[in-house]
Amino acid sequence: MSSHLHQAGVKLLKQLGRHADLIMDAYQQGSVTEENHDAAVIEKLRKSGILWRPEPEQELRLKRSIRALLEEALSDERNRQIDANVGSAMATIKTLADHYKEARHEVNFAAAEAYLADLNEHVFSFADGLRYAIRVLWSRINNEFGYVGTINAKIRENELAQSQVTELLNGLEMLHFSELAEIAGDIRELRRLLVTSLQETLSDCTAELSVVQGRLLELLGRFRQIRGRTRLLKGWQLHRDLHPDYQVSDHVSHKQIFKLFNRAEGLLAPAAVDIHNQSHEAELLEMVAHIKSIVRLPNIEANNRDFNVEFVLADSEDFDIPHNELKYAVDEYFCAVIDSGISQSALDYHQQRQFDWDYEAWLYQVICGYEGLSIEHKQYFELEPIGEPHPIYTGNFIIRDVELGLA
Amino acid sequence: MSQSETVILGTSAVIERLLRGEFICQTRDEDGWRALQHPATRERIETYLNEINRTLVVVGEAEVFFCGYLTLGDNERKVISQQFKEVCQALSPLVDWLVLVQESTGQDAPLTQGAAVRLTELQGRIEDTPAFREQLDKLSRYRLFGSTSTTVDAQLKLVFKRLVELGYLIKPNPEKQIFIATGKLDYLYDVIRFIDETEGLSLEAQAETATQKDLL
Repeated sequence: MSSHLHQAGVKLLKQLGRHADLIMDAYQQGSVTEENHDAAVIEKLRKSGILWRPEPEQELRLKRSIRALLEEALSDERNRQIDANVGSAMATIKTLADHYKEARHEVNFAAAEAYLADLNEHVFSFADGLRYAIRVLWSRINNEFGYVGTINAKIRENELAQSQVTELLNGLEMLHFSELAEIAGDIRELRRLLVTSLQETLSDCTAELSVVQGRLLELLGRFRQIRGRTRLLKGWQLHRDLHPDYQVSDHVSHKQIFKLFNRAEGLLAPAAVDIHNQSHEAELLEMVAHIKSIVRLPNIEANNRDFNVEFVLADSEDFDIPHNELKYAVDEYFCAVIDSGISQSALDYHQQRQFDWDYEAWLYQVICGYEGLSIEHKQYFELEPIGEPHPIYTGNFIIRDVELGLA
Repeated sequence: MSQSETVILGTSAVIERLLRGEFICQTRDEDGWRALQHPATRERIETYLNEINRTLVVVGEAEVFFCGYLTLGDNERKVISQQFKEVCQALSPLVDWLVLVQESTGQDAPLTQGAAVRLTELQGRIEDTPAFREQLDKLSRYRLFGSTSTTVDAQLKLVFKRLVELGYLIKPNPEKQIFIATGKLDYLYDVIRFIDETEGLSLEAQAETATQKDLL
């Protein structure tokens, strides 16, 4: 018989595997559209109890057990089904324990063994069911009932979860360990199974359920607060529309003022210059006088360049460097030094020739002329600055004159 | 040593903000807000403020801080009464704005401290829906915002600019059109709730019956 059961199970599982696509479609869409699939396949699935038709005119649906298997295996968050029926599970366990005791008493060890295995299975699946229920609750809490859209739906989902928790807790209360201990008697296997193992599971689950309950209440509070605020805003608009002449009463005329409205005036105002106050005029003018305007680029020219330029393609024009008297004078100065072979200060030469250029411009042009020579020419000359270090700021040398000589 | 220095530095900045009449919340000034969570710091600030007839006021669950009067004379009452008037005048425009933002972005919750608003996204949604456009047009004409424009773009920009000026929003990055709600909005809810409770308006109940009628 057991090999027959084994074979049937394997056949069923293979069937599930073979038609996995169809089953997943049914799982996701809720029902099977028969026209899209082979009638023979559907009939086979129906016979093996994977699909069923709830009512004659209805479409085929997945059996609850298959759906539950998928929900659990895929940890589908839409799964809200929780088996809170502790009572019936306990009744089964008690019955099996009685069977086992009877078989033992009649020294039918084979039967006792089978009953014990069965009992094991039931106790463990009971514990697993409890843990699974808690896991489902947590996953719903952790995504804050994200599978429904509105706050109202979330609140309803939360209330459903709370009622499930209460039911689970009520169910667990029905477990009396004294009763279980009595059933187990002095049989070691039964005591281990019914008392030790179950008790551990139970205390774990009760503790966790109370945490779940706390979190659910907290979430509910938050949802209600959010809904409360939305309603407050909506209500305000409604009230205003219904009573157009509504005025907020004067809540600050009482002797005691609610702290919400006790707001002091700002003592520190953002600073700004009062340009209309004439008594400040002198100070302001002084400040303005100290403002240095640094203009690095001539603005008008920049504007012109940016906006008033016409782009014209034309032949490039010839250009020549304008004739520069100063430059020629400097060249002559250099030649004079070469001719005489004696060092001469630039200012002396300036005075000698009675140029009318500015001294400074002259000196700059001399220095430029020297620096502008090619290296091979430069090495014939020596340019000695004449001047003194700055009296206060060290490291600055004020050039009063330069002396050019041959090297 | 260095720790006490930072505390002192922190306190002076906080006092300055308070005296400027600003709200201190977690979003706007997280450092200041954290400093105020410390009983010792809070006490020191309180002692300082008491010398100039000010006191530290904290309201709401979000713990928004601002500066109030320690004792109320005639002048103080005048200031408070003026401010209360301003708050009341701002209520309707702000409520309309909050509802518009909530509805156009399709969110469950109205804006609260720390929530972000993306202006371009909001603008797109409002431009696409005539009803939202109408609501925006209406609310931007309140004196609080004072818009005279007819385009969604200009109206929205002005409304958001005003809200930043009034301290209901901050714009953390000047380059980006993302705004974050401050604790002052939470203060606003507290004000509405207070008015609702003391005047017995039962606003929530009104809203609920209205939505139930809509459902029917």
